[in-house]
Amino acid sequence: MSPEPALELEGLTVSYGGLRALSGVSLVVPAGAVVALLGPNGAGKSTTLRAVSGLVRSEAGQIRVGGIRVDRRPPHAVARLGVVHVPEGRGVFPSLTVAENLEMVRTAVAGGVDPVGGAVELFPVLGSRLRQTAGSLSGGEQQMLALARALLCRPRLLLVDEISMGLAPLVVDRLFEALRDRAAAGTPILLVEQYVEAALELADFVYVLDKGRVVDVGEPADIRRGGLLGAYLGN
Amino acid sequence: MSALWPFLVLGIFSGSVYGLAAMGVVLTYKTAGVFNFAYGAVAMFCAYTYWQLHDAWHLPAPVALPLLLLVVAPLLGLLLERLFSPLAGLSAEVQIVASLAVLAALEALAPILFGTQDRALRDIFPRSTVLVGNRLHVGEDQLAMLLITLASGAALWWLLRRTRFGTATRAVVDNRDLAGMIGVNGARIRRAAWVVSSIFAALVGILLSPSQGLDVYQLTVVVIYAFAPAVLGRLVSLPWAYGGGVLLGVTQSVLSKWGASGSVADVEAALPYLALLLLLVFMGRGLKEAGTTVRPVASGSGSPAPTTRRLLDRRVALGTGALVAAAAVPLVVSGPRLHDVTAGAVYALIALTLVVLSGWAGQISLAQFSFAGVGAFTAAHLAGSGGRHFLLAALVGMALAVPLGLVVGFLSLRLSGLFLALVTMAFALLMDNLVFNRSDVSGGLTGVTVPRPEILGLSLAGRVGFYELVVAVLGTVGLGALLLFRGPVGRRLQILRDSPLAASTLGVNLTTTKLVTFVVCGAVAALGGSLYGALQQSVTPQDFSFAASLELLLLVVLGGRSLVSGAVLAGAAYGVQLLPIPAGVARFIPLGIALGVLSLIQEPEGTLAQVRRETRRCLSVLRRLPGPPPAALPLQLAEGVSGGA
Repeated sequence: MSPEPALELEGLTVSYGGLRALSGVSLVVPAGAVVALLGPNGAGKSTTLRAVSGLVRSEAGQIRVGGIRVDRRPPHAVARLGVVHVPEGRGVFPSLTVAENLEMVRTAVAGGVDPVGGAVELFPVLGSRLRQTAGSLSGGEQQMLALARALLCRPRLLLVDEISMGLAPLVVDRLFEALRDRAAAGTPILLVEQYVEAALELADFVYVLDKGRVVDVGEPADIRRGGLLGAYLGN
Repeated sequence: MSALWPFLVLGIFSGSVYGLAAMGVVLTYKTAGVFNFAYGAVAMFCAYTYWQLHDAWHLPAPVALPLLLLVVAPLLGLLLERLFSPLAGLSAEVQIVASLAVLAALEALAPILFGTQDRALRDIFPRSTVLVGNRLHVGEDQLAMLLITLASGAALWWLLRRTRFGTATRAVVDNRDLAGMIGVNGARIRRAAWVVSSIFAALVGILLSPSQGLDVYQLTVVVIYAFAPAVLGRLVSLPWAYGGGVLLGVTQSVLSKWGASGSVADVEAALPYLALLLLLVFMGRGLKEAGTTVRPVASGSGSPAPTTRRLLDRRVALGTGALVAAAAVPLVVSGPRLHDVTAGAVYALIALTLVVLSGWAGQISLAQFSFAGVGAFTAAHLAGSGGRHFLLAALVGMALAVPLGLVVGFLSLRLSGLFLALVTMAFALLMDNLVFNRSDVSGGLTGVTVPRPEILGLSLAGRVGFYELVVAVLGTVGLGALLLFRGPVGRRLQILRDSPLAASTLGVNLTTTKLVTFVVCGAVAALGGSLYGALQQSVTPQDFSFAASLELLLLVVLGGRSLVSGAVLAGAAYGVQLLPIPAGVARFIPLGIALGVLSLIQEPEGTLAQVRRETRRCLSVLRRLPGPPPAALPLQLAEGVSGGA
């Protein structure tokens, strides 16, 4: 008997006003696995992550995290289950200092943690920025801060949305390295990424989304061979 | 010449209370995204509650004070949070109207709960004085005021800066979604902010009531002083808000050294509004509106449905019919009742200007009665004491409204939403204090008289004649507006309301549209004002105060802010209040209006839409009764679909 999957979506349907963003998306992130969610702009990738976090309400379908239904819970209640979301854009509080941003970890995790020390260990560059407001950091540093904070929350499921957006390749490598370490340690990850090669390299399974529906599923090698990805992403 | 510094010290005391109020306003704005226009009303309500507990029920202060600050004020705060949280993410206009309706509700509720008799206030703090610097005797009450406000401000600052709860609060302010994703319960933070803000309001109320007296309107308006310091802190900074309050108090106090009466006193009274206006103008572009991240909302809430040309044609036809019917009213109504109907029709004319401005063009105005006042007082001076023809006087009144309309229009080019509402409010209060209150303008409390006109040798001095004149004007303006709305003008107004940004990217210049709209609406409101003056034959400054403009906005929302008929309904609602209603019932009417507005807040077509929806529901229920049972319905539908395919 395998353990409960980290995340299960069953027929998830989400609309914005009258516009349907997801129609019946089903997806599984097995325990300890990395799943990549690929697809063109507007396919519903970010919406999927936002629905899991409770930021948008689903119209139909179920979301289960570790076997527990979360689709009617507010974001903070989902977060308390160990779902940690690194959102699209810069996931930091710009007017709080770097140290205060990291201290927010204590809201999510009970017990003794040293968020500042842990973050500096992950990304040493943050060590010299602790007193600065997060808004004054460079884009790459902000993303490091966002990822460090997420990883220090001891996620039981990590949702990562376009972490590479607008960053230099060197910084992207650094961020993916941290993700790879965490995946190797057994943290399940659902990854939305434009940078397809990096995502395929890291992922155990791939879902391809288009116009709010799952159009292909498989292991990275199948997806590469199938050529469907190229049709959707134009490469 | 006495020394300046005693005035400085006294100013610090009164200013510290404004500072406390400003911090209360800032707190809910930054955490919940709600600018609480009702802040003064909350303070007033708490002050009344305190005197009820303390003076009427004779509870000792050590019991009454904690009861107020730890039970009544927090409950009021929680109630407000419940009221405003479903409105989060809706348009700024909806939230402004909601908090103005709360203001009106509390103002209406206070006399019902606490009575209208004058109250002799007992002092909270001892009146004995302390000698400061060997020269100045300072009341212990004033010292207590300063200490309480400083301590409250410092405690709040410490809470926000030095505790985990504070970090979480600032995180919610920065990015509510992200805070939620980290496990911060945003709703709890918002509730806490509303509770603290209400406690501050209660303190403000009991600190101000000994000097301002226990008066529903006065206490509510004095707290508007705090809006300027709040804006000085960009509506986010607590230290700036407090400091701004103290600065305002000091400036006012120093001005009072030079004049207890005359123009200096006028300026002193108007200073907070002048400061608010200037701050908004000069900081305008730097101010950012909170909580206006547009989220997908269900259709039918927030902004009006697109109006088709056919619908407009039908409305023109209906309007013409209504006009004929209205002209025939004197056949059935006469005497003082006809006077009330006429008053309702004049009110509808002024209401129409607000429908066009806020319902059609999306520009909220809290100053339409200020324009009406310009018309009324011009008519009084030219046609009354000046002996000129009424028509000429009315035209001059409209002409005088043009530059004022341009001023407000220019302000609206820089500001929108909340800040436009604030700037029009400041404009209305400035007109009250600097223009209408001057006895050479308005004759002071006794008012001035306006004669009824004579047109083409036809005397309209009688009730019937004057009524027909008003109906003719209202009909012309109302139908004219509808016809204009059918064409390119209407399209421009709709663009202005729905997507000014898109318009500018398409190269549509809305500057002229905005200015012309403000000018025309101001001039028509002035015309309404001169008709109002001629109807009443005597006008006072109170008739055109900020409170009148506020009531107008609420009645227009109730009637339907995007419909000409909404203006007519607003006029009817106004007229109903003039009927001889027993006082016991009459004092519930304003409360009913305020609660009605709150229940209709998301419905741009107001009562009418509600009535239409209910009728349709009843009809469909009736129609369904003899038909097939509901279970058969899906089958029918399925058949219909397959038959059509």
